[in-house]
Amino acid sequence: MNFVTYSRRALLAAVLGSTALLLGACSGGGDDAPPQSSASVYVSAVTPEPVAQADASRFLAQASFGASMSAIDEVSADGYARWMDEQFAMPAGSPHQNYLVAVAASLPAGESPQDAHVMHAFWKQAATAPDQLRRRVGFALSQIFVVSLTNDAVAEHKRGVASYLDMLGREAFGNYRDLLEAVTLHPMMGLFLSHLRNQKESGNRIPDQNYAREVMQLFSIGLHELNPDGTPVLAGGQPVETYGQEDIVGLSRVFTGFSWAGPDTQNGRFFGSSNPAPDPNRDVLPMQAYPQFHSTLPKTFLGTTIPSQGSADPRASLRIALDTLAAHPNVAPFFGRQLIQRLVTSNPSPAYVARVSQAFNAGRYTRRDFTAGTGRRGDLRATIAAVLLDEEARDRAKTADPAFGKVREPVLRLAAWMRAFNSRSASGNYLLGVTDDAATSLGQSAMRAASVFNFYRPGYVPPNTAIAAANLVAPEFQIIHEVSVAGYANFMRSIVQSGAGSNSPRDIQADYAAELALASDPARLIDRIDLLLTYGTLSAETRSAMLEAVNSVPINASNPNPGRQNRVYLAALFALSAPEFLVQK
Amino acid sequence: MTSRLSRREFVKRASALSFMGAGAPFALNLASIGAASAQAAPGYRAIVCLFLFGGNDHTNTIIPYDPAEHTEYANARQSIAFARDALTPTATAPVASQGNRPFAFHPALTAFKSLYDQGRLAVVANVGPLVVPTTLAQYRARSVPLPPKLFSHNDQQSVWQANQPVGEGARLGWGGRLGDLLAAQNGQTIFTCISAAGNAVFMSGQEVLQYQVGSNGSIAFNALTGSLYGSSSAGNAYRRVITRASGHLFENQLGQVVSRSISANATLAASLPPASSFTLPIPANNGLASQLNVVARIIAARGGLGTTRQVFFVSAGGYDNHDFLLDEHNRRLAGVNAAVDAFWQWLQQLQMESSVTLFTASDFGRTLTSNGDGSDHGWGAHHFVIGGAVQGGTIYGTFPQVRFGTPEDVGQGNLLPTTSVDQYAATLGRWLGVADTVMPDVLPNVVNFGASRYLGFLA
Repeated sequence: MNFVTYSRRALLAAVLGSTALLLGACSGGGDDAPPQSSASVYVSAVTPEPVAQADASRFLAQASFGASMSAIDEVSADGYARWMDEQFAMPAGSPHQNYLVAVAASLPAGESPQDAHVMHAFWKQAATAPDQLRRRVGFALSQIFVVSLTNDAVAEHKRGVASYLDMLGREAFGNYRDLLEAVTLHPMMGLFLSHLRNQKESGNRIPDQNYAREVMQLFSIGLHELNPDGTPVLAGGQPVETYGQEDIVGLSRVFTGFSWAGPDTQNGRFFGSSNPAPDPNRDVLPMQAYPQFHSTLPKTFLGTTIPSQGSADPRASLRIALDTLAAHPNVAPFFGRQLIQRLVTSNPSPAYVARVSQAFNAGRYTRRDFTAGTGRRGDLRATIAAVLLDEEARDRAKTADPAFGKVREPVLRLAAWMRAFNSRSASGNYLLGVTDDAATSLGQSAMRAASVFNFYRPGYVPPNTAIAAANLVAPEFQIIHEVSVAGYANFMRSIVQSGAGSNSPRDIQADYAAELALASDPARLIDRIDLLLTYGTLSAETRSAMLEAVNSVPINASNPNPGRQNRVYLAALFALSAPEFLVQK
Repeated sequence: MTSRLSRREFVKRASALSFMGAGAPFALNLASIGAASAQAAPGYRAIVCLFLFGGNDHTNTIIPYDPAEHTEYANARQSIAFARDALTPTATAPVASQGNRPFAFHPALTAFKSLYDQGRLAVVANVGPLVVPTTLAQYRARSVPLPPKLFSHNDQQSVWQANQPVGEGARLGWGGRLGDLLAAQNGQTIFTCISAAGNAVFMSGQEVLQYQVGSNGSIAFNALTGSLYGSSSAGNAYRRVITRASGHLFENQLGQVVSRSISANATLAASLPPASSFTLPIPANNGLASQLNVVARIIAARGGLGTTRQVFFVSAGGYDNHDFLLDEHNRRLAGVNAAVDAFWQWLQQLQMESSVTLFTASDFGRTLTSNGDGSDHGWGAHHFVIGGAVQGGTIYGTFPQVRFGTPEDVGQGNLLPTTSVDQYAATLGRWLGVADTVMPDVLPNVVNFGASRYLGFLA
């Protein structure tokens, strides 16, 4: 397939989204405007390879925000690779940022967007975006390269956070090295990990070490040297640490002299003062270099030394640093394993990780007549294809493996409801806000992790459990406890019946038409919901309990609708609460 | 209630042990359980861990007030230092244990200062994870075992909370291990280790499980009571689905959490008094205060719950002040000050302030060095212990000189701890009723601190 290269003008338009349009920077549409629907433009040449509907549904649980019947039909007819090829061709756009721009324009003077508006944009994309693979991987990346609205400095820039989510979606189908740079220079990351307006050393003052530490620990190489299969390299039986405090000190000098974008590099702009006037798009433009604040000392880290600079060259320092990090042999297994964990399973086999590492390092993944990737190391299309098309991800027998799969995180559970039942938003804007409260809602909201360590850690082990005894990790269990299980059940009980979000009636309503038509045939009703939500894996016990509950509601011949509705609500709530749904396998 | 093991408890513990296998590092034995129980003092006791996530900037939390020492502090910290006159309202009298040097609390910690003056708050200086007492030369030469992954948030949170220095992935916390040894004194084991702040390794024992509450206590499953979507019988079927045993490890564990949630709620909801039972309302917009309020209510419900020994976990976030330190730290500590002040008053209303000890913990201390607007990850830090049983109004341990190049400076003014978390923990555990002989089961490295393993801040 064709590899898209952006012109600088197109890139600027992509970064600015409709802001550019709003400001009249573009003549309006033309070649800068991404086509609204490219699925109809690009028809994959990959040979269709039909799969069973249940297998298509299972794939969509991993590769999208959840199966819908239309998506199941599409994947079932085309097969995984052809669907993926067409997904890769869809343009990224800036849907989250565009929504925030529109909101800001519609608010009364003196009011500004809230966190809830970022959530609206997220839910709309999760529920309705045609480029589901991009959005799903973008959400996964938002849990690896974390910025959070819970941070006071970040929270001042809702549009900036929306643009960060768009950036992750854009880079999701690019290259790891470019993703790492876009993450590093995004002003929301600069605020979150405080390298924005970070200054070179002076007197007792030294550069802020925050980003230097976390970019190594969390975004690139991790704490221990890894084999390509993700297992730790051992020396004398012990893991080998990848870096020490000296490396952090060296790397911290690289991340000095970067701050808000703008037409000049005056000191006041670096510090974010009101003089000179801040660039109105500084929250969405990559940070720029301010040589006067960049350390010229030698910068030694990970065996690389950037010699002392006669005149400060922050761009050159950054390029060498990010090249060094991206070239580290740890990146493929460290990043690849986490991507597997976000999409497929908490405990991938070493062989699975090794196959993903191989695709990452080769920059290309090939299966029959489908090829993903450019051949450049770090290609993310190749990596994503390797994660989702691997035999370990696709083998249906794995649904019977007692250790395979992952807990479906709460945000994905609600997204699955939206998609399975063709939810519609009355306003068109999916007006569901922050869902942090575990006692009354999901205990999780997109872009609102408690810290850069995400909602949960990739290595989390629920203590004192059979999971721990089996030496397994279960990241999502970090947010599962006595309160969150009940809070979720109650939240969904209400949503299944009354819809989700604000307003009355609630803004987001399911369309249960297809299920209501089956209400008099409980077995088929359960089959349909089983296909949509649990890809045909409901246990006999769960099915029998569902059947009993559905049959307990009579359908009154003269007024059948209330009975039909209650039957559908029961079947939906039971499935959404069943362990077969809560654990994606 | 009994301080002896029931047969049922014994079987449970024995099976928990066999489950852990022969390789369990700190296997309980019957003698140790008995010894711990024999220490049980009458009445009720609880400890409350207040964890400040992010790594509290200890240097601006307790500050030298002696003019010469303050000048050194100000020179070292530059733009992130407090002027001395800003500290006057929260300055202490000369502290005898520290050579009569005076110190000041952060200006936002007015209630802390007041409790200190009443003798109900003690400062523990320069405490942090250590394996053995460690000198600067030993640290530099790596000639003694050191805690793993120093300066890393997630790992040092774990090291602080775990019962020995293990980074992320630790399975046992010292709160949970204390709970293991004391659970037999409670009517129901489930209410021994209670978190109002999410899952924390601190609360994980070999057999005791953390129990989670929200700021309004436990949550009932609405679908299990009354009619569900027009069906009076569907609730029972629903219960079967959500508590179903499964051959899949994750599915089965989910069912267990749900079962525990349902059964514990039945007990807790029946005993928990409303927030309105306290004269002082919950400070507004203060998440920590809400957590401490539910802790106070659970303490008030001890009769109905049959609890006499409890470990609580609460937390506040936002302490990773690389940036905007003066503003953000002030805002965060003001919230902590209001929350702890309210908690103290709730305990006073319950007449339980001498039965409850609150202590602070955090990822690590921070650099003395400024990065212009904040500080970076460090190691040792100063902490607080608060309660009616605390021998307060003084500073325990050794408060270092606040300048570079001291015998505790491991670089950038980061502190090599002179008091270990194990000593801090052992002092709390002993007050709670764990016997000296079994303290090494809770904290295996405490033996490395010899006769000084208890710090004396609790009677």
